[in-house]
Amino acid sequence: MSDKTASDKTANSKPAPGDTAPDPDAPVTGMDYFMQLEYHELLCPVVRRYAEKLRAGKLIGHRCPKCGLVYAPPRGYCPIDVVETTDADEVELANRGVVTNFTIVTPVQYYGQTKTEPFAKVSIQLDEPGGTLTLQDVLDCPVDDVRVGMRVEAVWAPPEERDTSQIGNRSWGSAEGCIKGWRPTGEPDLPADQFLQAAF
Amino acid sequence: MARTPAPDIAIIGYAQSPSWRAAELTEPQFLFPVISEAIERAGIERREIDFTCAGSCDYLSGQTFAFVMNLEAVGAWPPISESHVEMDGAWALYEAWVRLQHGDVDTALVFGSGKSSPGVPAEIYPLQMDPYTITPLGADPVSIAALQARAMLDAGKITEREMAEIAARSRANAIGNPYAQVTGDFDVDELLAEPYHTAPLRKHDLPPISDGACAVVIATAAKAKEVCERPVWIRGIDHRIEVHQPGMRNLTESPSTRLAGQQAGVGDAPVDVAELCATFSHQEKILRAELGLGGDVEINPSGGALAANPVMAVGLARIAEAARQIAEHGKRRAVAHATSGQALQQNLVCVLEGD
Amino acid sequence: MGDALPTTTHIIEFPYTRTLGPVYSTFLTGLRDGRILGIRNRDGSILCPPTEWDPWTGDALDTSPAAFTEVGPGGTVETWAWVERPTRKHPFDHPFAFALIKLDGASTSLLHVVDAGAIDRMSTGMRVTARWKDDRIGHITDLAFVPEAS
Repeated sequence: MSDKTASDKTANSKPAPGDTAPDPDAPVTGMDYFMQLEYHELLCPVVRRYAEKLRAGKLIGHRCPKCGLVYAPPRGYCPIDVVETTDADEVELANRGVVTNFTIVTPVQYYGQTKTEPFAKVSIQLDEPGGTLTLQDVLDCPVDDVRVGMRVEAVWAPPEERDTSQIGNRSWGSAEGCIKGWRPTGEPDLPADQFLQAAF
Repeated sequence: MARTPAPDIAIIGYAQSPSWRAAELTEPQFLFPVISEAIERAGIERREIDFTCAGSCDYLSGQTFAFVMNLEAVGAWPPISESHVEMDGAWALYEAWVRLQHGDVDTALVFGSGKSSPGVPAEIYPLQMDPYTITPLGADPVSIAALQARAMLDAGKITEREMAEIAARSRANAIGNPYAQVTGDFDVDELLAEPYHTAPLRKHDLPPISDGACAVVIATAAKAKEVCERPVWIRGIDHRIEVHQPGMRNLTESPSTRLAGQQAGVGDAPVDVAELCATFSHQEKILRAELGLGGDVEINPSGGALAANPVMAVGLARIAEAARQIAEHGKRRAVAHATSGQALQQNLVCVLEGD
Repeated sequence: MGDALPTTTHIIEFPYTRTLGPVYSTFLTGLRDGRILGIRNRDGSILCPPTEWDPWTGDALDTSPAAFTEVGPGGTVETWAWVERPTRKHPFDHPFAFALIKLDGASTSLLHVVDAGAIDRMSTGMRVTARWKDDRIGHITDLAFVPEAS
């Protein structure tokens, strides 16, 4: 696949070396277009503080002052009660929790996909005070062993390796660059009825 | 073309965020108070809202399903009946207006929002053009608007001075608008002394890049009369679209605006004030001509889109500002206009009246 | 807002290969072969760029090869705009014009670019002609327009 650089003005796709040259008499039946857009978004204050805490080795969330639900990462509001949340609602989160949901992705080699082997993405409900992190990576665990109820703990990158440059204003990929993933603790699985209410 | 009589549906609440060059808050965060304020102004409880419709564009956010995140600002629990248009909120209003005519529900919340600051609008909007003949040339909104402005100048339908006067008047009007972004008293000769940005357009002929949101609450007649002291009646609303290729249109005219205006009933009675979504200065003159708005009609007291251009909310904001003129400033009859596509390809016209 | 506030950078990339259908296939094949084609509308007018339907009535058009006819390569600039600072998506790194060009033989105008060199070489009504790339693949950028007198 030919690489498109920002200076490629025509977005034409030229055949790579070794490809057969196109037949000059056959009709043109396809048109390539390489779409590329760049976004540079200001980090909102809530995420700035979340990222700052991550670099310091702490996971934080906001607890809604009305319903008590903990949002990890914090969003600056509770969407259920429609109230703003602030630093005053900040809580430090546990580094341990239970897998409440997961999916095993079998990677298709589309443009930009770097993975070649099936991998798991999990939701983790954290121990008290709570909060659920989504789309987290699992470490030291074969993909087939990933299961709901599995007890896990965070594996942090060493302080000098922590990097929050990929943390944006959206909740997805929420601890990237600081928490490398979550590994099974080896404890017995948590029974489902102990976390069903907050499953996501 | 026959016109069906409009049902009695009124705007009972509205609110806007300020327009920022680059908002620090996320879109749900700055939508949050706008929606709450519109509902409060409407005098109803959040749970009384029967239908919600939003307008936004995922390409602006750079994230698929970004519009789903915006629902967090609505309070969508217990689950709500909602819809979304990948359009300016003015079209979300149109859908909500249609929905209320089914007769089974009474109120609707409408909002539009967008952050234009993170992306590069000149690189995003070519993607909405014909992918085979236009997108690969990177034809951007300013360049296409400039083609239209040159056509206006060549046809003797406008002068560069008139364009600068429209820009100056808009910025001066915007001084009184707490939501506007580009405001102030500007000298027309000084504006004309500035270099071209994309000839024949100068910087003052262009809209600013803005982040912002607008929300409107509408209700059927019985509900409106029950909760609202000064409902603003939607007497007519219509939208039309033209051929896509700029080279197949007469860019100095806007037949879709003319037809939408006719269908909405603009000409049925005198108009006091109009909020027109002219994102480029020369477009105001085209819109006035097609809507038949004479010199006695006040145009864009808010400053219009030249003073604040929160794409996806800017058209709905024209409707909100026109409603404000009736509800708060004693005007009797107002016209609001929203646009989509390039060089006024698609247009929505709304006629509002007080009691 | 200030430069000191941190931002996050997010890049979206998608490679597309679009199928063309009878009209754009004929049109882009024409460009590859150094010809600009228009299609005959039901009223006999010539649409360029060609469409599968009458743009104003929606009626389907005959899209067989016989319905196409060569237009240009010369034409008249109907309106133009001068791009002083090209974006990354524009065809040139240097200033150029976008224009609506009424090609000889066509009834509609084509939105394209004029590599005039300087703004004072542009005027409404001027004549332009196609400048073809040596290496054409069947793409709207296989050509640009230049003042006919150059």
